[in-house]
Amino acid sequence: MRRIFYAIALCFGTVMAAQAQELQTILQTHADEIAKPSRKTVNVALEDLVASGLPTVPGFLEAWVEKSVWQRGDGQFFIGAVEDDQINLRDVDSGAESTADKSDFKQLKPNGGVRRVIGTALVQFQLSDDNLTRRTTAVASIARRPAADQLAPLLASVEGEPDPALKARKIQLANFLSARFADNPEDRITAINSLAKDTSVEARSVLNQILQNSSGVAPSEPEGNIARILDPMQAPDAYYAELVEAGFAPARTGPAVIRAALEANIVDGRVGNIPLAQLGTDAARERAYAALAKEGLAPPLVTTQTRDHALGEYVFYDLYDEPNAEITAAAEAALSSVEQRVAFAQAADLALDGLSLASIYFLAAIGLAITFGVMGVINMAHGEFIMMGAYTGYVVQTFIPDYTVSILVALPLAFAITFGAGVTMERLVIRHLYHRPLETLLATFGISIALQQLAKNIFGTQARPLTSPDWLDGAWVISDVIAISYIRIAIFVLALLFLALILFVLKRTRLGLEVRAVTQNPGMAASMGINPDRINMLTFGLGSGIAGIAGVAIGLYAKVTSEMGADYIVQSFMTVVVGGVGNVWGTLAGASMIGFLQKGIEWLNPSNTLAAQTYMILFIILFIQFRPKGIVALKGRAAAD
Amino acid sequence: MTLKFSSYVTAAILGSAAMAAADCADPVKVGVLHSLSGTMAISETTLKDTMLMLIEKQNAAGGVLGCQIEAVVVDPASDWPLFAEKARELLTVHDVDVIFGNWTSVSRKSVLPVIEELNGLLFYPVQYEGEESSKNVFYTGAAPNQQAIPAVDYFLEELGVEKFALLGTDYVYPRTTNNILEQYLKDKGIAADDIFVNYTPFGHSDWATIVGDVVALGEDGKQVGVISTINGDANIGFYKELAAADISADDIPVVAFSVGEEELSGLDTSNLVGHLAAWNYFQSADTPANTEFIDAWKAFAGEERVTNDPMEAHYIGFNMWVNAATEAGTTDVDAVRAAMYGQEFPNLTGGTAVMLPNHHLAKPVLIGEITADGQFDIISQTKEVPGDAWTDFLPDSAKLVSDWKELGCGMFNTETETCVQLTSNY
Amino acid sequence: MRKSFLSENPSVLWFIAALGLFTLMVTLLSEATGAGLISTSFVKTLGKTLCLCLIAIAMDVVWGYCGILSLGHFAFFGIGGYAIGMWLMYARTEGIVLESLAGQTIPPTPQEISDAIGNQIFGVVGSSEFPMIWAFADSLFLQLLMVVLVPGLLALVFGWLAFRSRVTGVYLSILTQAMTLALSLYLFQNDSGLRGNNGLSGLQNIPGFEGTPQSTIAIVFFLISAAALGAGYVFFAWIVSGKMGSVIKGIRDNEARVRFLGYHVESYKLFVFTITAVISGIAGALYYPQAGIINPGEIAPIASIYLAVWVAIGGRGRLYGAVIGAAFVSLLSSWFTGGGAPDINLGFYTIQWTDWWLVLLGVSFVAVTLLFPKGIGGLFDYLVRKQP
Repeated sequence: MRRIFYAIALCFGTVMAAQAQELQTILQTHADEIAKPSRKTVNVALEDLVASGLPTVPGFLEAWVEKSVWQRGDGQFFIGAVEDDQINLRDVDSGAESTADKSDFKQLKPNGGVRRVIGTALVQFQLSDDNLTRRTTAVASIARRPAADQLAPLLASVEGEPDPALKARKIQLANFLSARFADNPEDRITAINSLAKDTSVEARSVLNQILQNSSGVAPSEPEGNIARILDPMQAPDAYYAELVEAGFAPARTGPAVIRAALEANIVDGRVGNIPLAQLGTDAARERAYAALAKEGLAPPLVTTQTRDHALGEYVFYDLYDEPNAEITAAAEAALSSVEQRVAFAQAADLALDGLSLASIYFLAAIGLAITFGVMGVINMAHGEFIMMGAYTGYVVQTFIPDYTVSILVALPLAFAITFGAGVTMERLVIRHLYHRPLETLLATFGISIALQQLAKNIFGTQARPLTSPDWLDGAWVISDVIAISYIRIAIFVLALLFLALILFVLKRTRLGLEVRAVTQNPGMAASMGINPDRINMLTFGLGSGIAGIAGVAIGLYAKVTSEMGADYIVQSFMTVVVGGVGNVWGTLAGASMIGFLQKGIEWLNPSNTLAAQTYMILFIILFIQFRPKGIVALKGRAAAD
Repeated sequence: MTLKFSSYVTAAILGSAAMAAADCADPVKVGVLHSLSGTMAISETTLKDTMLMLIEKQNAAGGVLGCQIEAVVVDPASDWPLFAEKARELLTVHDVDVIFGNWTSVSRKSVLPVIEELNGLLFYPVQYEGEESSKNVFYTGAAPNQQAIPAVDYFLEELGVEKFALLGTDYVYPRTTNNILEQYLKDKGIAADDIFVNYTPFGHSDWATIVGDVVALGEDGKQVGVISTINGDANIGFYKELAAADISADDIPVVAFSVGEEELSGLDTSNLVGHLAAWNYFQSADTPANTEFIDAWKAFAGEERVTNDPMEAHYIGFNMWVNAATEAGTTDVDAVRAAMYGQEFPNLTGGTAVMLPNHHLAKPVLIGEITADGQFDIISQTKEVPGDAWTDFLPDSAKLVSDWKELGCGMFNTETETCVQLTSNY
Repeated sequence: MRKSFLSENPSVLWFIAALGLFTLMVTLLSEATGAGLISTSFVKTLGKTLCLCLIAIAMDVVWGYCGILSLGHFAFFGIGGYAIGMWLMYARTEGIVLESLAGQTIPPTPQEISDAIGNQIFGVVGSSEFPMIWAFADSLFLQLLMVVLVPGLLALVFGWLAFRSRVTGVYLSILTQAMTLALSLYLFQNDSGLRGNNGLSGLQNIPGFEGTPQSTIAIVFFLISAAALGAGYVFFAWIVSGKMGSVIKGIRDNEARVRFLGYHVESYKLFVFTITAVISGIAGALYYPQAGIINPGEIAPIASIYLAVWVAIGGRGRLYGAVIGAAFVSLLSSWFTGGGAPDINLGFYTIQWTDWWLVLLGVSFVAVTLLFPKGIGGLFDYLVRKQP
């Protein structure tokens, strides 16, 4: 009995061994393709591997994608993981584990293109796997490289899919695939029609793929599913070039061609009987060329007239790759309906971007709305308070590794630090200069220079990382067109909170009342028992503290450098001035106007963001000339200088 | 070490580093023209330290021509006109034999007229836009055909990218590189509609719209790829937005030409794994020479410091200069220049760099994928590619060649067989 | 009138004498014409400093005398530099191109010449088209006219709009700063046609003087700059004296009262703003051929603020104060950032002045504003008055 058992085990073992031998053997026959794979050549090896039907193949392929396949000096492949100078190896078939010195092994690093091809090969093993991650990977692989032969297995796997989200995704993907690859034209048209409301990039790509066409030129209208006939006179030179390329017409005689022909035909210092010295103008050169053409020494000049004549002789057309006209018509209809929706969505997205930019400007400027807008103090170091807040966030993160906790610590700490800095600055510098606003500007500028350089000396000029917590990663995706990152939403919410906070403080608290009293008439306020010094100090501190919190937020979404404050200072002042000094609502209006305006100009000229900024500033300069008090102008006595 | 280092720098900055051996009649002086303050300080200070390290090592090995090398360090403070002034000072007041320096193109253009007037010698270590060849400059960084073109080839061949977004900061390097790439892509059969170009200002931070535009490029089902010539800090906002939009390298790969180990240190790279960069050198290159170089650098400058591509360029350039001067038996500029042609020196990444008669190097091109620990995983390494001063892909410059050895001209028009000019076009 | 102008400004004669002596001394010690004790690069530094002194006086007149804190005068300085730079680049490149085209069998057409020049100048920034603003670049006279006209017109239009709307005080400062920012952002674009970030370079090579050594060119520019500074000083001293000077100072001290007295305040302000802009343009046109390169970074808002810093430290409301401030701070600045200042070793930390200079500048600037509003010039006055 026991013997039999042993025999069976032995038998089984040898079978296993034989099989094990096999995967390494297949790998060895394709050693070159596997060690140095390329997107275009790796398929041969993959087909052999998949065809072998070995159970170890999927595991090997997955390891390969993850860059954990290693090749030994003698060419043998292993799955391995590095630990210091050692490498923990696993045999590709038996799974036997061993350890070896790293130096003898070379890691295989398939590039992104190869990984994608391997991913496609893995689909068949993963599509109905028990592991959800594997199934998701498989579906993603199909989405990346859709092919006709994936439709059937995908459809087959939909039924048994336990995960509802993935199931919906599979159905959607199957729909995309059938629009392109289904055998029956009616199925395709049904699928295409169902895409008419889908604004996702994938759906549009399916429709665009169906509508792929190529342009061509022929003496007469060709056979096939013609998309459109083109009018060559729209861009005659470009179409003529096409004609030349197709070999239907002689090339245009440009200045370079004329020149070359003239140079080739110099006889006794003359060309076409015109002395060389006179050939310094285009007219003379054309005359000389005409003379050469007459003698047959050069091909005749192609004039505009001959060009137009030639264009009239031929048909220029776009031809669909898809032969079935019904399908392309359905796709065209679906696409135009989608594009309308996309246009709306784009407008919405642009508005969202504008809103987000406006809230960033508002956040950067809101501290100024207090110090400059309410108190009338020009603080050029405001940007540096933003920077201090951001660096506070960075420093806190170096001490507290948990991002959520560190942000929660950083926000109040940034407020405290910049509040302190603001109060110090007010006590030491600004209070001596309340009656000399221009001097305040210069003195705070000196502070700004000093703080900026100080930050460089302490933290270096290299940008520092300030990483947002996980729950702020990613974006709120409404559709493929409309999306906004969570961090921007957070900034928007923060801006709203501050707006509410400041309005509350100014309008509903004792402090706010005193602040307004002191700014309107310090003497009178003092005689009512308010201490203007204390109020000024606190107000300035509040404005600076808010700048610090804004700094943390801005650092989270962009970068933390010593110059980040300088990037915002001019814009912030303009936000306050455009909005109207002395009014928090005005700052909001100013930020909205600048934010939306900038996005609008960017949309008009998408390839050059710098131009958008330039024109926006010019617009603001003009705007202030015509409305010097800003959008929300104060009226009555408070408005007096 | 740190104490010694800082006192050494102090002495060097004073311009009176009395390191020259007493028995050497005519001390060998090497000028170091890198910004130590201002916006470029972060990048350029590293190169100054690299030079000091290389010189120290060379002096320990006996210097050059029997003389100890004296480093003359000046600070052009990221101020472009000051570069010209300091270069003149180095050449006329300090009488240096050779200058290693500059980072930005504009600073190089500022220095060019001065060193050409005074017949100086400059080694320029940074990847640049090409379209230039000065008699007095050796370009040890990459020309476009040694970085941009191979990277685009990788996109076309290996990743199968069919639609390109060329994103850049609005200055000369991205403009010229993108012009070359646009033409190159058109030659490769990519339609003009499939190339999206965008320029943003230095330090740009509002990337949401642009990233959205890039995603929208995929609407016709073609594989989209991004070629980024975005410079410096602006990259941080860009990569953060990419990560927020959840764009993986498998969907839309991004290859960057100005992002190296230094730039990644300002970022959390865990969301960017798989995005690419193209350089002639990565710190992760696994060769004995590189390990030795990194160890020496960390011992010299600090354990946390990283190495990067321009550092390797200075390493090759300095060693070639030492060898050329030894071969010529003098540090005289014209003699050294003649001896430079054909100089060979092993790269840190394997293979051998060769100095060509057009003053550019032949170097291998490496493509690396960003890893979670802020380094690059090298996944492709070409053979040595000879640097081309004048690109073959723009009609106006395709007819130009540079050959200082045979033709004695850096801007030779092959159609008319004439030398356009002997000075360079600054 | 003339007699009273000089008697009102005794500093003019002193200044001219001091400038003359200084110029003579530098000339005699320079490499080109004398002992060679002053290197060419230092002569260039001194020449550039003189140009900075000239724009500082202009700034002093507009701010110290008229009370308009303009943060835009360096923009006018830059425009002057660009205007002259365009001719310098064009003419130098034209020379090179004509020489290389002369070797061809067929004489070049005007179009070919223009293309070749465009390719040389703009090939660097990936373009070869000649933008519109280069239309006059081939004529030295017209470009010199632009040096004066463009800053003048820009100041006139901007000032007219701003003063008409009664934008004053800090609002005007912020507005002028916005103008500077817009201009520098515009120039940073490659599409501006002025070579974007690269700017115009090789300006120290003066077309027509290819054979002349830089040492001679440097000293010639130094002398021209000195002459311009002298003339500018006398001119501004004249402007700020007499009745007009009184009105201008009156506007600074109380604009409303001057208006009530019947003066057309806006016209005076516009005149001062425009004329100082023109002088700034001229200063720029003299500065950049000595610097060798101009690019948008030069025009960044920070430069104009430094200008205000110089004038404030030198002492507002006195022309020599501006000169002292500009010369003192800019030379000190290059001494500190150039590594000239010895480092201070505190044992636990070494203060390297390349890093700490800006901190020192910022702090001393605050100190001057708070404690010595009259600047170094004020100290001067104090000493002079002390004497019997």
